Amino acid sequence: MRGVTRREMFGLAAAAGAGIVAGSPGTSAGANPPAAPREPVAMLYDTTRCTGCKACMPACAEANGLEPDTAMSGGIWQMPLDLNAQTKNVIKLWQSDDGSEWSFVKRQCMHCLDPACVSGCPFGALEKSPLDGVVGWEPSLCIGCRYCEVACPFDIPKFEWNKFNPKIVKCQFCDHRLADGLQPACTAACPVEAVIFGSRDALLADAHARIDAAPGKYFAERVYGEHDAGGTQVLYLSHVPFEDIGLPTLSTVSNPEYARKWPRRMYKWLWGPLAIYGLVAGVVQRRWQKHEREAHRLERETGLREQL
Amino acid sequence: MRARRTAAATIGRHLREAGVSRREFLAFCSKLMVAAPFGLALTNVARAEDVAREVAKARRLSVVWLHFQDCTGCTESLLRTSQPDLSELILHLISLDYHETLMAAAGKDAERTLRAATVENPDPFVCVVEGSIPTRDQGVYMTLAGRPAVEVLHEVAGRAAAVIAIGSCASWGGIPSADPNPTGAVGVDALVTGKPIVNLPGCPPNPYTLLGTVLQFARFGTLPELDDERRPRFAYDRVIHDQCPRRAHFDAGRFAREFGDEGHRQGWCLYHLGCKGPDTHAPCSVMHFNEVVNAWPIGTGAPCIGCTERKVAFRVPMFQTVPIHDATPPDTYAPVEAPHGRRNLVAAGLAGVAGGWLLGAGYVASRAFKTTPGDQGVPTIPPPPTKKDGEA
Amino acid sequence: MINYWQRGVPVWQVRYLTVSFAGLSVVAVVGLALAALRMVSPLGPFSGMSDMYAWGVWKTFNVMTLTAFGSAGFSVGIATWVLGHQRLHAVMRTAILVSLLFYGTGLLALGVDVGRVWNFYNILFPWRWNTDSAMFEVALCMPLYAFLFLAFENVPYVLERIWATGGPVARRRIRAVEPFLRRIYPFMIAGAYVLPAMHQSSLGALLSLAGAKVHPLWQTPWLPVLYLIQAVVCGFAATIFALMTACLYWKRPIDVSILSELADLLSKTIFLWLGLRLADVAWRHELGAAVALDSYSVIFLAENVGLLVPALVFRSRRLRETPRVLYNMTTLAGLASLLYRFAPTTLAFRPGGPHDVYFPSVPELLIMCGWIALAIVGFSLAVKTFAILPAPIEAWDRLIAVARADHPEWRLDVHGNPTDD
Repeated sequence: MRGVTRREMFGLAAAAGAGIVAGSPGTSAGANPPAAPREPVAMLYDTTRCTGCKACMPACAEANGLEPDTAMSGGIWQMPLDLNAQTKNVIKLWQSDDGSEWSFVKRQCMHCLDPACVSGCPFGALEKSPLDGVVGWEPSLCIGCRYCEVACPFDIPKFEWNKFNPKIVKCQFCDHRLADGLQPACTAACPVEAVIFGSRDALLADAHARIDAAPGKYFAERVYGEHDAGGTQVLYLSHVPFEDIGLPTLSTVSNPEYARKWPRRMYKWLWGPLAIYGLVAGVVQRRWQKHEREAHRLERETGLREQL
Repeated sequence: MRARRTAAATIGRHLREAGVSRREFLAFCSKLMVAAPFGLALTNVARAEDVAREVAKARRLSVVWLHFQDCTGCTESLLRTSQPDLSELILHLISLDYHETLMAAAGKDAERTLRAATVENPDPFVCVVEGSIPTRDQGVYMTLAGRPAVEVLHEVAGRAAAVIAIGSCASWGGIPSADPNPTGAVGVDALVTGKPIVNLPGCPPNPYTLLGTVLQFARFGTLPELDDERRPRFAYDRVIHDQCPRRAHFDAGRFAREFGDEGHRQGWCLYHLGCKGPDTHAPCSVMHFNEVVNAWPIGTGAPCIGCTERKVAFRVPMFQTVPIHDATPPDTYAPVEAPHGRRNLVAAGLAGVAGGWLLGAGYVASRAFKTTPGDQGVPTIPPPPTKKDGEA
Repeated sequence: MINYWQRGVPVWQVRYLTVSFAGLSVVAVVGLALAALRMVSPLGPFSGMSDMYAWGVWKTFNVMTLTAFGSAGFSVGIATWVLGHQRLHAVMRTAILVSLLFYGTGLLALGVDVGRVWNFYNILFPWRWNTDSAMFEVALCMPLYAFLFLAFENVPYVLERIWATGGPVARRRIRAVEPFLRRIYPFMIAGAYVLPAMHQSSLGALLSLAGAKVHPLWQTPWLPVLYLIQAVVCGFAATIFALMTACLYWKRPIDVSILSELADLLSKTIFLWLGLRLADVAWRHELGAAVALDSYSVIFLAENVGLLVPALVFRSRRLRETPRVLYNMTTLAGLASLLYRFAPTTLAFRPGGPHDVYFPSVPELLIMCGWIALAIVGFSLAVKTFAILPAPIEAWDRLIAVARADHPEWRLDVHGNPTDD
């Protein structure tokens, strides 16, 4: 039984070195779930206040330099059917089958506390700000694999399918306006304060105050986004079931928390692969030596070289 | 002589001397506030009484009104008030020292009046220009006392404190400048430099825009904030479409499709009849003409022709629709569950055919294998071809 | 029973350009042309993908599903080198060739599918790696495996050909480099078994992040392990299928004892997988959904029955040695395996609302088939050039005799070794 040669030592050391680099947490936070942002901002949307005026839609388009989606209207109205590559914010209407119940709902990126899109993005093009928690997209790191679209439980990131240089388009909390000390365009445009901007703690307190002040008014007496999907920075109060207005029923465990538990354990410092490699290499090495001896014997007898 | 003395007096004193009723004056001031709610220092106050107080303090400004290639419509819009006393009031607010249509003088008297109002006038005056100025063939197409319009303009405007180009013709050439523009008609700012110029395009423009500008200049000596086409922002910073009373019909998709059809009778949106409202900056939707409600094109059921815009008026065909910039949502809503993706029957068919073919081929292949266990289908491997048979 | 598969021998044919070869080449060329076109045009018009089904067939089928075919080298390799099934050495070369072809075309498909491929250079900067991301793990591990370890595994038969036909200079070079290759060979192939284990399980982990969007019959914390075991299952099935089809087409004898051994391994792996899968479904109380007979339930049953039946059939040695049964059952197991790998990505993937549909467009399908055709064309060309497909020793001897007669300049002895050794 041969010992490990110098060459093999180098090989294993290189693998270990690569493993140490690769195994260290890159763009993701080390904790599972990750630490909360220092000063998380938030939006609170109350369906009982929204009048469906849609002022937030052209305000968002203008603030973000988006060409309004007029495809369905023959060019005259901003009429997206859903969030898309030209629409970061949309107002929808739900009506019950008999029309007796209805609600408006504003949809945009939820800026989750533990975003699935951030967790899945291979080079960290989607990043959650450690200060205010806004999830932003960086074009120079994106390879356009669309994993964020697959991962997002709310189906938010949209891809520019018809552009040659396609971007991922989603609400980024108007972070260029936040940097200037302004509110996001939608909350600034809302004439009835149906959607308001503030710190997450303050808005959660406000939301709970509203629930307490009017028992029975809000569905399930709870704020959607407080714990859903691990908690989001866009909060909803609704007088109708959340499922009806398109907010999916999700567990309090975020997708990334569920998905990264075992991979993290197996791949920490690459111990898992290295251990398996060590095992496999050991077995193969032994069989290889036996195989070599057999092959040489066969070649001496029959003149046929082995075929690896 | 007399013109100079009245020009130096304040408007307030002049109104008292002329016996103008205060009620009429206040009514006028309120209209001024409606015409210019923002962007004009004169009307940026809380009440009509405040405007009246400021206007009363102003000196009665001398105005020299030149006519070139015009139809006199701008003058008509100023003075064809539905209340006769109002036009009297307007003539008390400004001192119209030279106006070819309105003044009594004619011929040599008129020439003398012009000299008195300009060359011999020590006080500052405002030159209002109505009509375009011909430039082709040495400008022979419009002469005043034998002198071409260009010369008259340069002489009068050169002495004025400010030049106001009233109407589209004076602003950018107007109707005379329509293709093929045989007279080489241009607006004032193509010829005059070094003087503050205000353009008030429109065919005609709303007279309150003129009055607000002139009275502000009279009181404070300043002109309102202008855009890059020298139009006052307080009147021209928005398009008709954004202030149109029929906007709700547009947002709801209620369009008149033919003149006289049911929608037209109901007062629905005129977009599909070629209304240029979305492309036209003007205050007409807020401030109608002649003090009559709905006395403006769209109000009467005629689509806007974009008369203020040099790229639209008399260029884009009247019944051709214009594109909507910065579209806003209609009054319908997206459904909570919107459909995405499309079914593709051709592809499905092709996939079915290919899949079926593969399964069939697989079946045929499987038949070639025997069903006896251990059968290795020992065919005689044909010998490899040598060079004589052709390359392997 | 005689073992007919004793040595890899290049395939010889009188005619190169058969109808099937021509047909497949046309499909491959059309697919490649369309793929080149796609690189200079937006993804939208080219495919049926939309924001709700952001992954079309290229990622989900050519990569996530067909690389299970590409795990032939992985599964046969582990059976041979780790578990010690020595007789499978004869089919190793076929298995690793199939692997190389399906990984190669799968990676090409991935390159054509991503929308901003010019940013892939970011892979060179470790500080930009998001090590939590299964997509990153696949993006790093798959090309590393395919272009380094798998390629290395495929080098010996290339060198063998150059050795026989290359001339003295080439032979000297090969002789110089051979000891080094032999030294590192065991470590390279050990890597070639660890890396696929990592990324085949990561392909499953990709869907873990999609959470509730994947139907509960498929979404489980065991998804990576189940994907990995299915890779092994499909690898065995692909090897059996490729060998049988190739021998049928090129009129070579099949070796039912080796095939029977592969089928036996296939069957045992399927039982392992079935046990895990059904235990997982039962543990999560989803057995009701399994028999609800809606479309999801039907797919679930098809997968499991499609795997269970071959596994049971292959428990009988007699049936394992019956060629037609081998072929049919392997095909069934292979299809069911592909169905399992494909289902959670598209069939059992439920985004947004009930009105979202996806079907690949015609160019998308043509490109997908183009990659597969390219792999088959590659297989055909490779087995004709190199000694890959196993055959009896007589075939080798006959080939060498003809080679010596036609190419005296190669200076080969009766066994095919160069005489100027």
